[in-house]
Amino acid sequence: METEVKKAQGTMVSAENPDITAPADWQPVIMGILCNWCSYAGSDLTGTSRIQYPPNIRIIRVPCSSRVDPWFIIKSLQTAADGVLISGCHPGDCHYISGNYYARRRFLVTKKLLNFIGYHENRVQFSWVSAAEGPKFAKVVAKVTEDIKQLGPLHRYKKENF
Amino acid sequence: MDHSKQIQEIASRLFAENKIDYFVGYRQNSFDDTQVPFLITDPAEIPKLVFTERSVFNLSNYLKPDHTKRKRVGLVVKGCDSRALNLMLTESQVKRENVYIIGICCEGVLNEKGEKAQNCVECVMPDPVVYDEILGTASGKREYIVNADIKELAQKALTERADYFENIFENCIRCNACRHSCPLCYCAKCCIDQETSTLYHGANTSSAGMHALMTWSLHLAGRCVDCRNCEKACPSHLPLHLLHKQNEMVIYENFQQHLAGMEKDDRGAFYKYSLSDPDDFIL
Ligand code: SF4
Ligand code: SF4
Ligand code: SF4
Repeated sequence: METEVKKAQGTMVSAENPDITAPADWQPVIMGILCNWCSYAGSDLTGTSRIQYPPNIRIIRVPCSSRVDPWFIIKSLQTAADGVLISGCHPGDCHYISGNYYARRRFLVTKKLLNFIGYHENRVQFSWVSAAEGPKFAKVVAKVTEDIKQLGPLHRYKKENF
Repeated sequence: MDHSKQIQEIASRLFAENKIDYFVGYRQNSFDDTQVPFLITDPAEIPKLVFTERSVFNLSNYLKPDHTKRKRVGLVVKGCDSRALNLMLTESQVKRENVYIIGICCEGVLNEKGEKAQNCVECVMPDPVVYDEILGTASGKREYIVNADIKELAQKALTERADYFENIFENCIRCNACRHSCPLCYCAKCCIDQETSTLYHGANTSSAGMHALMTWSLHLAGRCVDCRNCEKACPSHLPLHLLHKQNEMVIYENFQQHLAGMEKDDRGAFYKYSLSDPDDFIL
């Protein structure tokens, strides 16, 4: 009965759990994990160029995209985030020469495994953004935010649920 | 596949020549026909050693504890166990000169129901890849088969899969037996345990189970050899192979048909890269 009431009020339905809904003005929280040398500088450029992008993203700076342990992604999804965006240097541009090639392998496996256990594939996304690509960063964040808004709130496995 | 006699002979020879301090094998359980791992230092206990298709456990795991780490150990390995041992050697967890390896050309072991175990039906390498002495006749590498359970689950809808796995994660009691029974899980401190809240720590919620098992399986991706020691140890009988086999399949299909522990000095799929790795999922 209670869920029915909630459904009537809410318009956002979680892609993973149809019982979970949120009000129409619900805003997702997106964890952004950015490489210091490219994407973080890229996001800085977006700001200094006065390009607007959705404020849903919370940015964490890491030294390299290969610093991202799949654990970070799982932990983000488990604690607060409705989605995760990880961004690093384009292939061949890594500050540490090959970090992003290693990262790329891990990301593919993580993405497939998350999808296998029942997360929509758009929950966790990856991008290559260089330090000169301010407008691209804004576009990527806008796309990811839009994708995750479509998916609704991520309720399953959220830590506060017990 | 009864190699009990040969193993007993080798063990007594090794003790007589003072080549080993410990021998790790299997012994019959006293109450039914299953077997348990058996660690001996006394040659008088050698007649209790057995090896049949009931010898299911991965004995490489017994090279992890402190008391065997710096000692010379003789042990029995099947195909999958030897792949795990190969990785342990590559990752400097075991000194090659400290182990005397009796490799068995495996014909498959039985599960609790008495049928051939699923990982043995799908086994890619039943022969030992690292050994000092080999028993049985080698049958060579086989073709990779995608796990039957994964194929079945992949057909289901996203929400159905989510429900299925939530049920699995909820039933994990966070006893960490899977971690302790895996020969490739040897970190002294595990990142899964870094939770600060004591209330949350060890709680058996689906959230804690998801966090622990997903992190664990991703840290073993590209290294897991599908020996299923973890699954045999799990008191909740959770199908842990689903996570590992899914990763193994993605790695096999995308990264030059990589299989863990097959070659000497191969550290696993995540320790190398290729310029042509799939990239189309990245924006
Ligand atoms: S997985 Fe292969 S090597 Fe391991 S017990 Fe089964 S048949 Fe033997
Ligand atoms: S994770 Fe399980 S199946 Fe894989 S190597 Fe460890 S014990 Fe064996
Ligand atoms: S052995 Fe089973 S119950 Fe124990 S922590 Fe591992 S999955 Fe959970």
